[in-house]
Amino acid sequence: MKNIYEVRSANKIKSALIVAIFVAFVFAATYILVNALAYNSGYQAGGFGYVGIALIVSGISSFFSYYYSDKIILGIAGARPADRKRDFDFYTVAENIAIGEGLPKPKLYVIDDASPNAFATGRDPAHATICTTTGLLEKLNRTELEGVVAHEMTHVKNFDTRLMSVVAVMIGLVALLADWFTRSMFMGRRRDDREGNAGSIFLLLGIVFAILSPIVGTLIQLAISRRREYMADAGSIEITRQPQGLISALEKISQDPNPLRNANKATAHLYISSPYKKGKSGTSWLTNLFNTHPPIPDRIKALQAMA
Amino acid sequence: MIYIILAIAIILVFWVVSTYNYFVSTKTRIGASIQEIGNQLKRQSELIPNLEASAEGYLKHEKGIFDELTSARKAISSAVESGDVKKMADAGKMLSDVLPKIQVVVESNPEIKASEVVSNLMDELRDTSDKVMYARRLLIDLTADYNVKMVTFPSNVVAGIFNFGKQKGLETPEEGPELKVSESETKTPKINL
Repeated sequence: MKNIYEVRSANKIKSALIVAIFVAFVFAATYILVNALAYNSGYQAGGFGYVGIALIVSGISSFFSYYYSDKIILGIAGARPADRKRDFDFYTVAENIAIGEGLPKPKLYVIDDASPNAFATGRDPAHATICTTTGLLEKLNRTELEGVVAHEMTHVKNFDTRLMSVVAVMIGLVALLADWFTRSMFMGRRRDDREGNAGSIFLLLGIVFAILSPIVGTLIQLAISRRREYMADAGSIEITRQPQGLISALEKISQDPNPLRNANKATAHLYISSPYKKGKSGTSWLTNLFNTHPPIPDRIKALQAMA
Repeated sequence: MIYIILAIAIILVFWVVSTYNYFVSTKTRIGASIQEIGNQLKRQSELIPNLEASAEGYLKHEKGIFDELTSARKAISSAVESGDVKKMADAGKMLSDVLPKIQVVVESNPEIKASEVVSNLMDELRDTSDKVMYARRLLIDLTADYNVKMVTFPSNVVAGIFNFGKQKGLETPEEGPELKVSESETKTPKINL
């Protein structure tokens, strides 16, 4: 039995550890790929260099999804703003959780979809948006809804949209470098006069990293996403003090057979549970490795430990 | 060597500044959260007469409940004016005590239960007491965080240097007759059968 404060600090440490591993990985991959690229083409890029260019390209594509994430998603999903009368529980619960967190009330939207789900987006608490499906509002009672909304508010409070955007930029950077290196290999402009031990080691490592780093990067990205889910679950209990609410909400969500119609890959990590239903959840560790969310039974177990 | 010392000094300064800022900003947030409790209680006391007026027709046989609601409302208004956290908390509790009574009346009378006006009344009353509860929770959480940092190492050093005092929050008395246990009370009660 762990109390909520112990869970919180344990989560923080684990999350920081994964992020640290991620940063180390990005540094190593970038360093090796750039050196291999320079060796292979026989040309040391000056100024911004390869990293600078890759960072800009990767950054621009992610910037828009970061800055306008709410508008993009809401455009795709066909959401309508929540109405106090019509969505009384959702509206007032969100107001209340915001009071409890000491944050401004986020913008609230409802998507017409039978699959029960919810997500949060927006670059900081002042620009946050929480969105639920009509399926969620129909199936959950007020206490369960409180658990879900508090989970989303914790994503907002922890700046998870920002974190995941930065992570996406870094992954994009490594992927671009790997791609350029692979291309330069095919062009085969290797100059023999620079042949040396260090050079060939970089070349060898470069090949290994070019093949492995996109997938390794993605796996770490998913690990970060899963850790943030546990943090959001714990944060939800911290504010509502009612683990049972979130537990039964998760049970209801996981039992629902409908997949979300307008699921969006860029925001999958912000939903309360994965918008893609891949058969039975919580099967092997291998499938789990490729999920944005921990299996719901595991999440419920973690919540029960706090109850 | 000199660089290492310099680096440590810079980190230390940053840490002191950020800890100092934590104490100052949390103190402000605690003040704001007390105001928030007041705001929510005020909202509550303004909302109740509206709801009473609309639901009175349905609950006309339950005059006792309305009397209790009215007295709770008066207590809230005077507590908010006084700005005293303790009084606010007590007044808020008066209202949350009335709610279950209304619930009983509503549940036991299918005719009332079916009316939309009454169910709206129940929803609004529940929501308004939730709002007060969450406002209080924010104050409690902020105060607890602040007070823990006050006494734990190393942040207590900064608190000591700049003379930050303990925050009261929603104070429960540390001493008082109700918290004392006399020796006779600890003894196993004797029962003669």
